[in-house]
Amino acid sequence: MRTVHTTVNGQRVVADVPDNTLLVDFLRSQLELTGTKESCGVGVCGACSVLLDGKPVSSCLTLAVFADGCTIETIEGMADDNKLHPLQEAFIRCGGFQCGICTPGQIMMAKALLEQHPRPTRMQIKQWMMGNLCRCTGYYKIIESIESAAEGTKS
Amino acid sequence: MKPFSYLEPDSLDEALDLLGRHGDDAKVIAGGTALVNFMKNDLVEPRFVIGLRRLKHLQAMTEDNGLRIGALTTLRTLETSPTVAGYAPLLAQACRLVATVRIRMMATLGGAIAYADPALDTPPALMACDASFTVQSRREARTVPAYQFFTGILETVLAPDELVTEIVVPRQPTGCRTAYIKFLPATHDDYATVSVAARVAVADGKVVDARIALGAVGATAVRAAAAEELLAGKEPNAANFRDAAQAATADLEPLKDIRGSPDYKRKMAAVHVVRALQAATTAPHP
Amino acid sequence: MTAQTQPSEFVGKAVERLDGPDKVTGRARYTADVFLPGMLIGRCLRSPYASARIVSIDTSKAKRVPGVFAILTGADVAGYRYGRVCRDIPILAQGVVRFVGEKVAAVAAETAEAADTALSLIRVEYEELPFVVDVHAALRDDAHRVHDQPPKVVGARLRNPGDLKMYPPLPNVISQLTLRHGNPAEAFAQADHQFQHTFNIPSVHQGYIEPHSCLIAASDDGDVDVWMSNKAPHGARAALAEALSIPKEKITLNPVFIGGDFGGKGGLMDAPLCYHLALHARRPVKMVMNSFEELTAANPRHAASITLTTALDRNARILAMKARMIFNSGAYAGFCPVPTIHGYTAFAGPYKVPNCDLEVLRVYTNAVPAGHMRSPGGPQITFAVESHLDMIARDLQLDPCRFRRDNAIAEGDLSPIGERRQFLHCRAVIDAAIREFGWDRPKGADVGRGIALYEYPPGTFDDSNVVMSIDGAAKVDVAVGAPDTGTGFHTIVAQLTAGELQLPLNDIRVAFRDTGASPFERGPSGSRLTTTIQQAIKAAVDAIKTALTTLAAERLGAREGDVRYRPDGLIEARGKSIDLKALMAWAEAAGKAPVVRHGKNTPTGRSDVTCFAAQIAEVGVDRETGQIRVNFMVTAHDVGQVINPITHQGQIEGGLVQAFGQTVCERLHFGDDGAVISATLGDYKLPTVMDIPDLTTILLPVPTAI
Ligand SMILES: Cc1cc2nc3c(=O)[nH]c(=O)nc-3n(C[C@H](O)[C@H](O)[C@H](O)COP(=O)(O)OP(=O)(O)OC[C@H]3O[C@@H](n4cnc5c(N)ncnc54)[C@H](O)[C@@H]3O)c2cc1C
Ligand code: FES
Ligand code: FES
Repeated sequence: MRTVHTTVNGQRVVADVPDNTLLVDFLRSQLELTGTKESCGVGVCGACSVLLDGKPVSSCLTLAVFADGCTIETIEGMADDNKLHPLQEAFIRCGGFQCGICTPGQIMMAKALLEQHPRPTRMQIKQWMMGNLCRCTGYYKIIESIESAAEGTKS
Repeated sequence: MKPFSYLEPDSLDEALDLLGRHGDDAKVIAGGTALVNFMKNDLVEPRFVIGLRRLKHLQAMTEDNGLRIGALTTLRTLETSPTVAGYAPLLAQACRLVATVRIRMMATLGGAIAYADPALDTPPALMACDASFTVQSRREARTVPAYQFFTGILETVLAPDELVTEIVVPRQPTGCRTAYIKFLPATHDDYATVSVAARVAVADGKVVDARIALGAVGATAVRAAAAEELLAGKEPNAANFRDAAQAATADLEPLKDIRGSPDYKRKMAAVHVVRALQAATTAPHP
Repeated sequence: MTAQTQPSEFVGKAVERLDGPDKVTGRARYTADVFLPGMLIGRCLRSPYASARIVSIDTSKAKRVPGVFAILTGADVAGYRYGRVCRDIPILAQGVVRFVGEKVAAVAAETAEAADTALSLIRVEYEELPFVVDVHAALRDDAHRVHDQPPKVVGARLRNPGDLKMYPPLPNVISQLTLRHGNPAEAFAQADHQFQHTFNIPSVHQGYIEPHSCLIAASDDGDVDVWMSNKAPHGARAALAEALSIPKEKITLNPVFIGGDFGGKGGLMDAPLCYHLALHARRPVKMVMNSFEELTAANPRHAASITLTTALDRNARILAMKARMIFNSGAYAGFCPVPTIHGYTAFAGPYKVPNCDLEVLRVYTNAVPAGHMRSPGGPQITFAVESHLDMIARDLQLDPCRFRRDNAIAEGDLSPIGERRQFLHCRAVIDAAIREFGWDRPKGADVGRGIALYEYPPGTFDDSNVVMSIDGAAKVDVAVGAPDTGTGFHTIVAQLTAGELQLPLNDIRVAFRDTGASPFERGPSGSRLTTTIQQAIKAAVDAIKTALTTLAAERLGAREGDVRYRPDGLIEARGKSIDLKALMAWAEAAGKAPVVRHGKNTPTGRSDVTCFAAQIAEVGVDRETGQIRVNFMVTAHDVGQVINPITHQGQIEGGLVQAFGQTVCERLHFGDDGAVISATLGDYKLPTVMDIPDLTTILLPVPTAI
């Protein structure tokens, strides 16, 4: 058991976790932040993507103790009060989701992308988002959503 | 995942102490992308997991008689670093083709080589760069050339108490050009079906120095020494490249898996040796 | 059957989906996201053998693991068999295992860790038996019989022509469908050309990102609460009631979001087992399949071996086609909700084939059971037919587009299985695709082009219902009987309702609450839902309007016959008018009974409407390695009324990329013992955003009724 001090979506969290806990389970079961999903469990699908100190990670391959001393951002922290983040708005506007199970991961990954490249090219979007699988949309509208969000925030 | 105790040393000495003490019962964890997967499937069941993330100086790169890359440097850092691009574009190129951005942000170079999966992209690139690895334990520090490091599927020369601390890429010969080709017939995020790293220096129309290494063609990445010798002093032309490819692949024993039969992989390896040599010898000079 | 939707500012508009805010914020709750107090985790032990007798199971050590509340083996759930049509699936293996991955024992424990520890302590002694994994081998007289006895079969009905035999006296055959139309023997005798090719099409997984999950709580007085990833809760409730031998009124399926279905989430999967664990443990139990279990032991698409023989006249007109289609059903038939693989109805593609002779077999093997996936049988059959036609065209030195166009079905033609349909715009769709693509423009070196056609009549079977109510604030609630699996179904219901009632979209709420609080709905299946629910909505709106008429007449002091609905939304009678809000506010204040009306659609007979798709791909080929890259695709469709362009286009794009995956990179690989060896998403390669081709979609608006 270890005590983990972290900041989750802007809130200080101090929690005791067994050493062998995965970050995805810590978030979902212990903190009840179930917006982060788990699917492949091997780092391929990206459904479990969260930002650790601003950097995207697969929470299914990350030990919860790695969050000690770090900030975590999850989908639950994207909207400001009730105001959606421009990416969230764009995903709705452009139809960048269907079943929605991949969507939290897509949005977290896209957030990290726009922080590094506020105006990404289509190729940059594709390369960056390659690790986030979506079985429903065929990706076209996800690309469109990210482009649309980038355009909206550019001015 | 089986229970374990997580330990987080503050210094290299402390880490080596812990490793020395727990040896067989312990595993170090860097990015965790390989180890966590193994632990989740009970393929390894360490009693102690030693986290390296506080060893900040192992996350740094220094130029000192070559490029010294701290073992904890992430593949993403290597891929985007101007220093690496200048020193060893081959390594940067191989890193760029590993998995996906998110995995590259987590995965470390030290973790990759200690993991020693035969299909990894970085080992052939490191072999073709003449890289060597600094390996430390409480007992000693030693340097192992990349091409002698890998001993089998997921097996290396590392003893249980040893840590890879540094990957050293020497200054590359003047005039050499490089290429890394990862054959991905299915999807872009896949492991290589086969891969080839090549470094070639040509002077006066003759190959003066060649390095060729292949990935996903057997139990370990391999350096194609016979092909390198064969090319030395020859003209960099298609016929010679084909001979080199023949020499590089004739004795390979690729593993049969979902990415293909041994025969198919051997053929694909030959095709890509030729292509890598072509790409390297026609690339613009750095 | 025609439905003239009201002209509305919402129908046909790209309105944002109602589930958007929940899905982009992480609030949307899927089964795995539901946690109940005292909940246990259920996990199962699976067979390492393709075929074996279970000699003994020892759970004594496992029982001693702290935190373990229930351990079940086959003996605890003997006597239960479930499945769709064929009731052949045991809850846990009954003395024999029939595929690598079959469930042998199960544990419910406080943590996944405890459950896994307990599983690892269960000792099972097996005696290996012969096995068969190849369908052709399974059909031989001396083949190992995967099942000794045919199971109970319920509701093996065909919606289309054909003679169906369930469990005929053929080795390992589940169903045999034969169909002859015209006089194929004569046609073959007169043919100028004959071609025969065989295609073996591997199995693929649905690839939904949410694995099968369920959570079941059983109360002491017999009430059963269920959360599960199932696209059709009412059907699942009925199936569960039967599988567990409890009255369906005792079971409630609660609303959860579904993380992708693609046909694969219509069955019960782990739910019967989960119930028994919950019953034994007297605690709620959650079971979430991991990705390994999904890929190796769920219900993927059938692998197929398809032999086609075609007779043509000297002008390359198709005279007749023979087809033998063998579908590998794996070890159990009950994951497939229909008696045959109904993709057979498109067995010759959208071509005029006046004579046909067809046999479709579903065959047991010792492999993972096959289930349903988006257009079951469709991709296998289409791949075979379209490849066959390309090979014929090449042999006869014909342009593949022209050859197809000349043979395409046209108004007045019967379908290859002899069905009559209307709105046969096949040629127009081909022409649109060819035009957009520029079929005749020169191509680069090492570039290939191909065209393929597809026909899919929208489903018009089984009941759809809605319960519509309108409250004192004139807000409308539409209760439907199925969740929105991601297609945008609920949004479309809202659009249609808004259109019919001339109300703003914001005033409409659509929800699936639970099976007790919602009307029956067959759910998404065979492209039916948008079509069938439309009629139910219309019926409900008609009934609502009748009720409003009564209210308005009273309020305006008029007779019901005088009440009119004006285009501006006002209700008028005898020169006086009132808007809906005012009317409803009055009705509420006056204590009138709430306006709640039920709309039902029971389709009578099949619709004869159909629709087509033509797709052209430009493919770069590396001749040295054989690697292909699909550079560019055109997909052309004839469409009727598009209700929501966002969701409509989303279906086209998602479907296209799934087919792309099946063609280019996806494949379940099997070992010699039938075990799936592409067992993680690292080895089962779904297309990524980097892999998809550039795409142009052409929608050909045609005056089609639904
Ligand atoms: C989804 C996915 C896709 C991938 N695709 C590719 C690909 O296409 N190409 C490719 O090349 N690789 C690929 N990889 C592998 C990836 O490169 C490795 O997993 C990664 O580099 C390992 O680094 P890590 O820091 O995460 O190691 P960890 O998982 O932390 O450790 C791996 C092993 O190395 C040991 N170790 C770690 N650091 C040291 C050290 N300094 N000294 C001694 N031992 C050490 C650990 O004890 C462990 O046994 C993929 C991985 C994933 C998860
Ligand atoms: S669940 Fe973590 S990457 Fe798929
Ligand atoms: S929206 Fe369903 S997987 Fe992406």
